[in-house]
Amino acid sequence: MSIYLPIAELSVNLFVLLSLGGAVGFLSGMFGLGGGFLMTPLLIFMGIPTNVAVATSANQIVASSISGTIGHWRQGLVDFKMGGVLLIGSFFGSILGIWIFKTLVSSGQIETVISILYFILLFSIGLLMLIESSQVIRDRIRKKTVKKKIHYHNWAHKLPFKVRFYKSKLYISIIPPIIIGFVIGVLSATMGIGGAFILIPAMIYFLGMPTSKVIGTSLFQIIFITAIVTLLHTTTTFAVDAVLAFFLIISSVIGAQIGVLAANKLRGEEIRALLAIIVLVVGVKIALDLLVPPEEIFNLSVLRVIF
Amino acid sequence: MCIRSTIFSIVLLLTINFHAAALVIGSDEEEILIDANFVGQDLLVFGAFYADPSQPRDEKGDLLIEVVGPPEDIVLRKKKSFLGFWLNAYQVEFRDIPGFYYLSSTTEIDKEFLNLNNIGILKTKKSPEIDWSSLTINWGRVKSDKDKREFNEALIRTKNQENLYKEVSDEIELLDGNLFKTSIHIPNTVPVGKYDVNVYLIIDEKINKQYSYHFTVTRIGIEETIYNFAFKFPLIYGLISLAIAVITGWSGAEIFRRFKKS
Repeated sequence: MSIYLPIAELSVNLFVLLSLGGAVGFLSGMFGLGGGFLMTPLLIFMGIPTNVAVATSANQIVASSISGTIGHWRQGLVDFKMGGVLLIGSFFGSILGIWIFKTLVSSGQIETVISILYFILLFSIGLLMLIESSQVIRDRIRKKTVKKKIHYHNWAHKLPFKVRFYKSKLYISIIPPIIIGFVIGVLSATMGIGGAFILIPAMIYFLGMPTSKVIGTSLFQIIFITAIVTLLHTTTTFAVDAVLAFFLIISSVIGAQIGVLAANKLRGEEIRALLAIIVLVVGVKIALDLLVPPEEIFNLSVLRVIF
Repeated sequence: MCIRSTIFSIVLLLTINFHAAALVIGSDEEEILIDANFVGQDLLVFGAFYADPSQPRDEKGDLLIEVVGPPEDIVLRKKKSFLGFWLNAYQVEFRDIPGFYYLSSTTEIDKEFLNLNNIGILKTKKSPEIDWSSLTINWGRVKSDKDKREFNEALIRTKNQENLYKEVSDEIELLDGNLFKTSIHIPNTVPVGKYDVNVYLIIDEKINKQYSYHFTVTRIGIEETIYNFAFKFPLIYGLISLAIAVITGWSGAEIFRRFKKS
């Protein structure tokens, strides 16, 4: 059964679409990641135009991050104040991101730039995950336990505009979280991602937030950043496909819940290594698509009123 | 069938009484509705033409059928290899190019004739001064005549690949020498709007008779409503999209939480 996507202006197989949403949801539920970094390239592989894939992914992440936040919020693991400060940066970052996105669409470079960004992103994530998981596996075999530092003190503590974050037990300047938020905002608007995989390490290493509060807080802030990005896309690039988003949301929410259940039953490292390989394969495929000489070097697009 | 018999009688009348060239056409579509399941549709154009009753058909009189879709502005981009990566390097913008163009004839029609009579994808504005330079908004970095010609050819080629451009000389079916019938495939990629159908009767390298009519292509269904809504009320569309995401995300988590408890 195929379904017509009004904004993407093409028909896709509904079963393929639901499987894609379910699979990405499953992985995100299992690893606690938003999954946007896999959703967008896979949608592009399906033939969805790049701008629609990016904008619709943002809308889908709103749903999956709400789903995820609820659990953390019930356990009191969300630092709303920190989330709010990050959001100030994200808001301005996303406005810059949308401007970059629009410029790239009108100059015809959006596909190329998105592909290159995704290649860099997926390749580095995949490699890091692979290294990390293989180390854990090796350490487990050697029966070593890794000592972890609880608190980091660095340059982030020396800047002005210091604010107390009670929940995270921090007294730091608001400048670093605003900068981090800004970067995430730019990436979210241009790539259709929540940015958890950058946000989480940044919150731990740059801000020194306690690990327990990090996931909930990042999910909380991702709800709002992706909501802002969705609205910016619907009003400026007109690229959010509500029909596509709807089916992705339903399937990914179900997939995520199954992923959470599966995560409790399976051993993490092996699965993480597997995910790392999937991520690397997707990254390499994106790069190869850019390198393969095209059959037709000309391409036609109809100018819309907005561009 | 009523139309056909009318045509027959008209043709009969003309041939008996006037011994002059005649062209009558009919068609079965005035509006093509495109919904989500639309896979394309065949537009039937039929009619009768008469050059001279004393001559066999293949000696006198050729038919030319032209379907011109609504005009649109387009961008044509050319990729170039840069460090092994294929990137869009040049772009040219065109104005008022028909979104769909179809040209069918009973015999091969030479280019000179078409140019002279302003028939062709780039000649649809029936004005003698229309040429490439006025159709082009922006040549960008494309300067040389050779490159310009390459872009002109690429425009036809890419439109052809999307089934939005076609030029044929063997699709018109002739019955009894004077009646003709052809079906024109309208693919699902066509733009919405007003389409002109021009039928020409050509005798001695000249347009002897011309008959024009039009039909419209309209998109219908829930998908079209969503499309229009997204462009007309973007903020409300965005808020609805968000509301769906929030409700689905929240309820999904709630349903599974209860499911796990029980």
